[in-house]
Amino acid sequence: MSQRKPEHDVIGRSVKRTDLLDKVTGNARYAGDFIWPGLLYGRIKRADVAHALIRRIDASRALALPGVKAVLTHQNVPRVLHAGSPHPRSASVTCDQYILDDRVRYWGEGVAAVAATTEEIAEAALDLIEVEYEALPAVFDVEAAQRPDAPLIHDRGFGHNLVLAPQVFERGDVAQGFAEADFVIEGEYEGGRPTPAYMEPNVCACQWDGNGNLTVWISTQTAFMVRGIMAEVLGLPLSKVRVLVDHMGGGFGAKQDLFQHEFLCALLAKQTRRPVRMEYTREETFLGGRTRHPARIWLKQGFRKDGTLTARQARVVYNSGAYGSHGPGVTIVGTSSLVSLYRCDNVHLEGRCVYTNSPIAGAFRGYGVVQAYYALDIQMDEAAEALGMDPAELKLKNAVREGDIAPSNHPLVGHGLEDCIRHGRELVGWPAVRRRGRDKGVVKTGWGIGCEMHGSSAYPGIKEQGNAIVKMNEDGTVVLLTGTAGLGTGAHTALSQIVAEELGLGFERVSCVHGDTDVVPWDIGAFASHTTYMGGRAAQMAAAKVKAQLLERAAALMEAPADQLEVRDNHVFVRGQPQRRMSVKEVVGARKGIPAAQFVGSATYHPTKSYSFAAHFVEVEVDTETGRIGVRQVVPVHEIGKVIHPVGAAGQIEGGIQQGIGHTLYEDYQIDMKTGRSLNANFVDYKMPLSMDMPPIRTVLLETAPDPGGPFGAKGVGEDPIVAVGPAIANAIHDAIGVRFRHYPIKPEQVLQALREKQTQPETEEGVPA
Amino acid sequence: MKQLVAFTVNGEEREIAVEPNRSLLDALRTEAGLTGTKKGCDVGECGSCTVIMDGKPVNACLVLAMEAQGATLTTIEGVQCSAEEPHPLQENFMQCGAAQCGFCTPGIIMMAKALLDENPKPTTDEIRFAIAGNICRCTGYTKIIEAIGRTAGTVEAQP
Repeated sequence: MSQRKPEHDVIGRSVKRTDLLDKVTGNARYAGDFIWPGLLYGRIKRADVAHALIRRIDASRALALPGVKAVLTHQNVPRVLHAGSPHPRSASVTCDQYILDDRVRYWGEGVAAVAATTEEIAEAALDLIEVEYEALPAVFDVEAAQRPDAPLIHDRGFGHNLVLAPQVFERGDVAQGFAEADFVIEGEYEGGRPTPAYMEPNVCACQWDGNGNLTVWISTQTAFMVRGIMAEVLGLPLSKVRVLVDHMGGGFGAKQDLFQHEFLCALLAKQTRRPVRMEYTREETFLGGRTRHPARIWLKQGFRKDGTLTARQARVVYNSGAYGSHGPGVTIVGTSSLVSLYRCDNVHLEGRCVYTNSPIAGAFRGYGVVQAYYALDIQMDEAAEALGMDPAELKLKNAVREGDIAPSNHPLVGHGLEDCIRHGRELVGWPAVRRRGRDKGVVKTGWGIGCEMHGSSAYPGIKEQGNAIVKMNEDGTVVLLTGTAGLGTGAHTALSQIVAEELGLGFERVSCVHGDTDVVPWDIGAFASHTTYMGGRAAQMAAAKVKAQLLERAAALMEAPADQLEVRDNHVFVRGQPQRRMSVKEVVGARKGIPAAQFVGSATYHPTKSYSFAAHFVEVEVDTETGRIGVRQVVPVHEIGKVIHPVGAAGQIEGGIQQGIGHTLYEDYQIDMKTGRSLNANFVDYKMPLSMDMPPIRTVLLETAPDPGGPFGAKGVGEDPIVAVGPAIANAIHDAIGVRFRHYPIKPEQVLQALREKQTQPETEEGVPA
Repeated sequence: MKQLVAFTVNGEEREIAVEPNRSLLDALRTEAGLTGTKKGCDVGECGSCTVIMDGKPVNACLVLAMEAQGATLTTIEGVQCSAEEPHPLQENFMQCGAAQCGFCTPGIIMMAKALLDENPKPTTDEIRFAIAGNICRCTGYTKIIEAIGRTAGTVEAQP
């Protein structure tokens, strides 16, 4: 552990990612790129009502269309109640959906599916399927949905359209805490409906062999969950389902769910005895995809005069849309996140998740915490203003630190949040850069700070485990078998680096096999910022087992005790005697009639939890004539433990900031609040930040609080950046123009409206106390 | 009723039979077997299907295959300098980490190639403008702009 050399040879370096050559040359195969002889194309007919019973559905005209090979409706698919988010070990899954139901719960829900010889014929056949609906009263608003007279969207559940029982998290005595406060602040905050908008529309292709084995090519973050739930719903033994994922074009959380088309594709392939591919259109990625949960948050906090927090109380309501999906997990993770970030002994939180006849909300990077910390971090800014303190100072004063109990009920390791705030403050020249509305021109600038913490792994909500197998070839190279998904983060490169580092081998000596449920060890899927942390640790443990076998054989060959040997630069050395060495290839390889050794290590890692931290410093400009808000620069400071691949980690942060700017300033998937009809299911009307909108980003990675549970101290980074940037922008807008926004997205017309209102009111509440 | 269309793609003369309403994107991906060009929206909003047609970048989803009659096309599969040597743009995309999921990458590299073919020394703002119609959802664009700038020699390699 404490050799006198650069601490690590392979990790901490931005080696060339193993997946990129195929991606930049067009050779990478995504699920939609495969073509087989006889391939059929599947399409889904979607409902144009938000809530209705299907009185009659007639596919006969569609079936008569030349080229149509099969049509499925609720009348001829298995009726098996299943969960959309099939985390097998989670206590919080919601079993509330069928492949096709005789009832429609949101505008755009699938009601039938067609397989045909061309996409055009399949599309034409959809119009020939006749559906008669009996409309039911629909409800789109979470408050309305909880009223006693509201229509119930599901027959099951907890009444009042609750997806799960209200979740309460309590620490200390919140009434006592407010009694001790010198100053109490409360407010309501609201988050819109951004979507992940991954570039690769959902796609899967299915093929059955003569023995009844189903092979599924699919774009998913959770191949083993697809296998499990597909087998369960289709009534197959697990061993009959093989799921293949090589490259996939992004997921950002949403591709953890199972979608209607995936079951339908398998059923159409079975019925036609031909391979079938189903590919979403871009519009369908909105209609049949998953969004972030729209949320309303009431938040109240008490402070002493010196800024010490005494109490925090919150009610959080998440809109789940028509199905439960990740609603329970999001509600628990998001609501409970408010026990922490800023330390407070007296906390009372209640989280609800409510069904409405709206698009399905699911998992999306930040997982409920985006909404919660948007409210918390803006309110901290408001409190600082009222207390006459600098917001960074107030946040630093209350920042969680070593030993504090995290939302997961684990004690925190290190002082990551304090480190991020201090480092960023110095880097940007805070507080001198703050404008406090002093800019005189039409375009006013301002700076804001936003903070966050996010757990690596979904423990304890899910009792996760990482698995890995490492085996050594007779030439001293090794193969890592991992079930982790390659959704674009470079995870397989990072895991290969970890294996190389542990084994003392060059990076190029490690190859990685993934993406085939028949071959690689079981994996829970790529989510919860846990792939490097948990899958990486399992890979390290498996590599250590191979290393032990290698050293045992080397000990015999080199006539030295195994505990005196070490491996570096592809060689085994006797410690302190560098001239006594053998190459790894010589050790493992065949010698004079003795076959090569078979070194295999298999490991399972049960993670606990670690937290990563960030403070984002953002400069914005606000055009007071047009209301346009531009982000001028972002300085994200992240504490993520040991960094395995610096460029990969920075890439996660920059991409997360792009999506965070998106939901804070532009992105909102909207439905008509009378009919439930989708209004902007395309990339023109659903505006995202593009190259012209993105500011320079000066990413800083700190390694000051490594977690002993992660490989070499590494922690997660995927979700952190999208959380912190939102409140930083809102706080910067306040610094620029003195207007406080408590919702997202913040739109130009709202800026203009707020500025008009501000002009007609005397300057009272927004003034900075002397 | 299918019709024959002939074009040169990546230096190879091809003749394929397509329906008259077939998009160039579908014809390239299916009939020509060139799946490196991606379908992200099929309506000209995302740029994932950018190819170079007679020297100009086009969204292949907005061009009918029949319109490519006699055209010279370059797709992502035709960009490499040789089997062993990636194009400098491809090399820099790898070095800079300018691709993550990789789905938008072929379209952006084609757009960048079209830019550099016409303007070998673009400013950073010209690069940002050139790829303004290409949606990337993973990278925040910073590393993409860096990779294109490095290829042009207008951005220094970072340590």
